[in-house]
Amino acid sequence: MKKYKIVVNGETFEVEVEELTTTLPTQTKAAATTRQAVTKKAKTQMTVHGLNNVTAPLPGNVNEIKVAVGNQVNAGDVLIILEAMKMENEITAPIDGMIKELLVKKGQVVQSSELLIVIE
Amino acid sequence: MSMQDKLEQLQVLRAKVQSGGGEKKIAKQYESGKKTARERIDYLFDPGTFREIDIYAGDATNNPSEGVVTGYGQINGRKVYIYAQDFTVNGGSLGVIHAKKICNVMDLALKMGAPIIGLNDSGGARIQEGVEALNGYGEIFFRNTIASGVIPQLSVIMGPCAGGAVYSPALTDFIFMVDGTSQMFITGPQVIKAVTKEEVSMEQLGGALTHNKTSGVAHFMGEDEEHCLYMVKQLLSFLPSNNLEDAPCYAVRKPEMDSEELLDIVPDKPQKPYDVKKIITALVDGSEFLEVLPLYAKNAVVGFARMDGQSVGIIANQPSFMAGSLDINASDKISRFIRFCDAFNIPLVTFMDVPGFLPGTAQEFGGIIRHGAKVLYAYSEATVPKITVILRKAYGGAYIAMCSSSLRADIVYAWPTAEIAVMGPEGAVNIVKRDEIANARDPETEIERLVQEYRDNFANPYVASSRGYVGEVIDPRDTRVKIIDALDALSSKQEIRPRKKHGNIPV
Repeated sequence: MKKYKIVVNGETFEVEVEELTTTLPTQTKAAATTRQAVTKKAKTQMTVHGLNNVTAPLPGNVNEIKVAVGNQVNAGDVLIILEAMKMENEITAPIDGMIKELLVKKGQVVQSSELLIVIE
Repeated sequence: MSMQDKLEQLQVLRAKVQSGGGEKKIAKQYESGKKTARERIDYLFDPGTFREIDIYAGDATNNPSEGVVTGYGQINGRKVYIYAQDFTVNGGSLGVIHAKKICNVMDLALKMGAPIIGLNDSGGARIQEGVEALNGYGEIFFRNTIASGVIPQLSVIMGPCAGGAVYSPALTDFIFMVDGTSQMFITGPQVIKAVTKEEVSMEQLGGALTHNKTSGVAHFMGEDEEHCLYMVKQLLSFLPSNNLEDAPCYAVRKPEMDSEELLDIVPDKPQKPYDVKKIITALVDGSEFLEVLPLYAKNAVVGFARMDGQSVGIIANQPSFMAGSLDINASDKISRFIRFCDAFNIPLVTFMDVPGFLPGTAQEFGGIIRHGAKVLYAYSEATVPKITVILRKAYGGAYIAMCSSSLRADIVYAWPTAEIAVMGPEGAVNIVKRDEIANARDPETEIERLVQEYRDNFANPYVASSRGYVGEVIDPRDTRVKIIDALDALSSKQEIRPRKKHGNIPV
């Protein structure tokens, strides 16, 4: 059991996080099953690393916005189509959550690492 | 003292060393979500194969094992050397004998031509031992450098690893970190606050996610210690024991996907992204792909897989992230991976779909010229078999960089969807046909017509293949068979280069 202190909008929360042990498949010589490095994170990590902030990975033009404030999204859902390098780049949700803020408009030009969406 | 007494004395000493820092310290280690050095070793090695060395080195009573357990054993039947720092013994601090033990096991690994794993969990230098402890670090760094490219060196960060200590892992081939319980940094949060006034938590500064995603220092992230060590074993299965051997061969397994599915992955519209990892997993043995740096510079994908039972290093552009363009970080990721594979006789298979180098001041000011040059250098320098498959876009300098025939790819295949040209149709038309467009009655329609004309005439694999830059245009469904066939043909490849001390890669 780990304790974390989290500050959200100036309000302090104390959170206890329990780590569940996962049983790993025993590896035989010929059959190592694939395990992707895991991206799923405890809630605390998200705020620590700003995973709830969706930023533009490269400069481009906002082609399409697929969500609205208040929408529930799952990690991997397409949020925005950003046209850049002549490609319709899909900007996906890094985490599950609700769209809290939408900071861009359709047709807007954004710079690299500009904040697009905040997920709560 | 009778023999019996002497045996008892040995027993006591043995038990003392085995118990590490004692019950209290071990309980504390568990509390912070960590295991002891010996438990980690037990998990990693085949049961009963681990042999500890230098067991009684140093002060066995006050400092059992001198805070580091060293030895060798077998992992999946293959000899591997290890050192595991024991945080329960004086915080795993590095003193003179601690460093000597590590150096000793490194020397043995190098002599035997076997991989070495370092499990790092240490508070840093043993301050009481002063400059001698510092020298200990230096000795380790030197050995890391000498062993580089001779034996695979893996570092697993399972606790703190701060200050000078970080440079030993940084000199090794791959770094693994455990999420939540490992940190790496040169200077800690307190020093940073004092000097730059920045406030940052330990986790944010040097945690597993930071180094796997933001800095690219660490290559693999484990959910917990077992997952992390499991990935170490998985990686070792792809690697030879040293630079004179080939990687172990495994029984051939078919991909889990049907080759027909390959026809539906690349969208018809060149503006549409797709996940290149779907293509990789559809082609490799058992669809098993161990991605290296999966969270960093995602516009490039690198990792290990097997084809026909043989290890290959896979490099691909990822159209679904930043259009698959090459930028500074992707160049860095790709070039280091190529050099590792080349050093350890692992053939390279490149999947190309690259729109170009990423434009922008951030990239130019950051030195994309010298970073991008690393990719050209690494591919040119590599003498292992090099196979390139052009999936779709192959434009400009980035086309040359992604293992084109000019950089001595042994075999270049192209899918019928390939577009190989100096630049994309839109850009090319705007430059070459500027006058025609300006004089046209309806410039927009004219551009559209010219783009289509350009695409028909130049943005296909046939111009390049007619000039000999593409060996064969292949049916995507035949890709696996073609690559395996090429690997077989190239297995006896030898390439002699001029003698030199070493080249000067634009690092």
